[in-house]
Amino acid sequence: MVKITVNGQQIEADPKKPLIHACHSNDVDVPMYCYHPGLAPVGSCRICQVDVKQGEAPSRVMVACRTYPVEGMVVDTESARAHETRRECLEFLLKNHPLDCPICDKAGECDLQDFTYQEGQSAGRTHEERRPLQKRKSLGDVIVLDEERCILCSRCVRFFEEIPKVAQLTVSDLGSRSVISTFMDRPLQGKYQGNIADLCPVGALTLSKFRFQARVWNLTKMASTCGECSRGCSTTVEVLRGSDVKRIRPRENAAVNGWWMCDIGRFAFSHVNAPNRLEGSLVREAQGLVIARNEDALCKVRDLLITHRDSIFVVSPWLTIEEAQALLDYSKRFGAHVMFVSVEANGEADKVLHTGDPCPNRRGLSELGIPGVKAAEIAERMMKAKLVVLVGERVVELVGATAIAKVHQATSVAVFDCHALDLPQVEACIGIANSAERTGTWVNVDGVHGPLAAVKPAPLNVRALERHLGDLVKLSPRSDAMGARAR
Amino acid sequence: MKAFETYLLDRAKKDGAHRLDEYKKLGGYKALEKVLKTGLTPGAVIDEMKKSNLRGRGGAGFPTGMKWSFMPDPAKDPRPRYLAINADESEPGTCKDRVLMERDPHGLVEGSLIAAYAIRAQAVYIYVRGEYRKSHDRVRDAVLEARAAKLVGKNILGSDFSCEVFMHKGAGAYICGEETGLMESLEGKRGHPRPKPPFPAMSGLWGKPTTVNNVETVFNAPFIIERGGAWLAGIGTKGSSGNFLCGISGHVNKPGVYELPFGVTAQEIVEEKAGGIWKGRGLKAWFPGGSSCALLTGKDIDVVLDHDSLKARGSSLGTAAMIMIDDQTSMARVMEIIARFYDHESCGQCSQCREGTQWLSQIFHRIAAGKGQPDDVDTLDALAKGMAPGKTICALSDAAAIPTLSAIKLFREELMTCVREKRDPLAVKQPEYAVVGAH
Repeated sequence: MVKITVNGQQIEADPKKPLIHACHSNDVDVPMYCYHPGLAPVGSCRICQVDVKQGEAPSRVMVACRTYPVEGMVVDTESARAHETRRECLEFLLKNHPLDCPICDKAGECDLQDFTYQEGQSAGRTHEERRPLQKRKSLGDVIVLDEERCILCSRCVRFFEEIPKVAQLTVSDLGSRSVISTFMDRPLQGKYQGNIADLCPVGALTLSKFRFQARVWNLTKMASTCGECSRGCSTTVEVLRGSDVKRIRPRENAAVNGWWMCDIGRFAFSHVNAPNRLEGSLVREAQGLVIARNEDALCKVRDLLITHRDSIFVVSPWLTIEEAQALLDYSKRFGAHVMFVSVEANGEADKVLHTGDPCPNRRGLSELGIPGVKAAEIAERMMKAKLVVLVGERVVELVGATAIAKVHQATSVAVFDCHALDLPQVEACIGIANSAERTGTWVNVDGVHGPLAAVKPAPLNVRALERHLGDLVKLSPRSDAMGARAR
Repeated sequence: MKAFETYLLDRAKKDGAHRLDEYKKLGGYKALEKVLKTGLTPGAVIDEMKKSNLRGRGGAGFPTGMKWSFMPDPAKDPRPRYLAINADESEPGTCKDRVLMERDPHGLVEGSLIAAYAIRAQAVYIYVRGEYRKSHDRVRDAVLEARAAKLVGKNILGSDFSCEVFMHKGAGAYICGEETGLMESLEGKRGHPRPKPPFPAMSGLWGKPTTVNNVETVFNAPFIIERGGAWLAGIGTKGSSGNFLCGISGHVNKPGVYELPFGVTAQEIVEEKAGGIWKGRGLKAWFPGGSSCALLTGKDIDVVLDHDSLKARGSSLGTAAMIMIDDQTSMARVMEIIARFYDHESCGQCSQCREGTQWLSQIFHRIAAGKGQPDDVDTLDALAKGMAPGKTICALSDAAAIPTLSAIKLFREELMTCVREKRDPLAVKQPEYAVVGAH
């Protein structure tokens, strides 16, 4: 570490990281386009110019992303000269930019827009027509490129070279004719394409699924965790006006995912947005499953647990550790076995992020002592049980509705899931909140705890599993009353 | 002009000097032999170069001996090291290296080997501009001949010095003549210049210590070895020693490449070598060293040609490629052509250069076409100041801005007249032809 002075303030800086990193870690704002903390610096956009004085030499305006801190360096990011150089650079960047901010998806979170606003440059000097290029060029299923908006920072090009390490994009042609393209216009491949839309400092690269879906300032954003594999990438889940999840983006977390996430997790919001939720609860009556109060459904589950000796709890690997702990405590009263559905590896494992294990909380559940059991074996265990309680988001899907349908007609089934399951064996069905509607914690493959955020409200009468379990505890006899059955 | 001794073009003037036997007859490979057989150490070669005061002929005029001495000590840094010869001569007006490569290619090979010996390079890469087919073929044939004669390859002339020479053809980009762009291109990538530091001497080709030299620079080395550094230092002026190749083009009666000692005046060259300005016209402006230098007016024709004198007049010697412009020529048109060249050749990495070169080109085009706006000249001035100096990774942005700034300084009134009158009074009706870049 070396001591440098930035805007009169003494700070400690890592001499191996560029000056702009030291500035940003100390809340000194320096604009950047080509620089990204997750990629090697190239110093081509030239916007991060700051005034640097080293030793006795007169101070110079230098790019902060290719200058490295040296003991005693004095940096002024706000000098008139630095401002002027950045303003000049900005004027060049805006020369061919279409300024179509009103219809741009990036508007509101665009670095070019923000910095132009900050510099207050309102008049342009160009009399020339702006470079006419392709406005909507598909780069495959995930990304749409607007060549006119591109400022050629090359972050996207470098991302593919440095992170998945399969170069797919390049800058083609020279000078003012440069455009971003793939080799022979082939579509982009792989499951990390979505990241370049986040990396793009302007609205050149947009997600085809997010195009014209929302103005970003209308999105509610909350920190959460991805549930598509046991990596548990930190995410920001964005919801439009309290209804649907519109976008999931990686959230910087050096311990887990850096700045990236895969497209599987990025677009995994169809199930949290899924319609036809089970709103409230269902209980079996003579005429079939009928709508019931949640309390009545919970009482039914309690009664089933009291009357059946051979009962098993099959839980979802999406259960949070809080939910799992509560369930374990409760199941002990009845001496019931608890197991989670150990979904088999899906073949998506790679060297970047994806672990290939679709159980987001495998480690958390295992640490609590809940064994993971494969779906085929669960089907066998269900055949032997008198009562099967299926608990957790997606549990029916993961165990398989057909497997459940095969259990003996005499076996009772109770379900806690987001959707109703109408099978003759099902005695009670209780709606629960999904991972975008409840809080809790998942433990990833490396033991890092990832929080879940309740980003959007659950449908009417739908409560989180933890609350149902809490009520169930209150409605049930104490464990000492259960005598020898309690473990 | 005082009489002077020539050496650079002596062989090139003779037919057949591109062949090894003829080259040897004319005294070729004597210097290499002297280096390898008299046990001259690499350090001694560098000392001799330092003594000669030779400055690079590629445009920047950096002292060659000092550049060679920047290579790390092989005892402390055992990495392989390379010499790259910059023969990607594409600056408008510059055509001197072409003469050497076409007519005296063994001189380049011998010079390269001496340079490689001095910096202890295992390999020499000669990067020839793609359009220079004849130059490339001549140098390639010379390398093949030299290899057959054991002058290139393992244990050259029976010594323990081994050095391979590789030829590389450019693919048509001016930017690949920038030393770091050249290295990227040699590595098989796009010719995007690299930020410095790290400098090539520490991390060049494939991240290894590398020296990049111009053709004419290393061409001087055999003469310095044979006749001594003091001999070369005795020619020319205080800050610039030796003879140089001056390529004079534009509105003169006898354009061509001439060998001259530093210290002659531009006037002497124009009048005694190039036969004066054509059609009996006056001299309006001229570039002393290729289109990247600041323009000078006809009044500055008395300037002594060397690095320091031209610097004092606000320009630079560059590659000593003089482009003469007569008094019937429209400066708006001249600058339109120059600006279009840089727009065509910018690599597109840095914002200022990518957008700025295009912008300059568009404005000059409008002015020349009689469609200039009242604020155009001021905008040009502001843009050029925003592009230079030293605001970008390499100097191409500066190279576009410097002639622009000088044209505005010297010919503002002429440009403003084009704008005011909505036509270019000096425009000549000429056949429509496409003005393209270097290639």
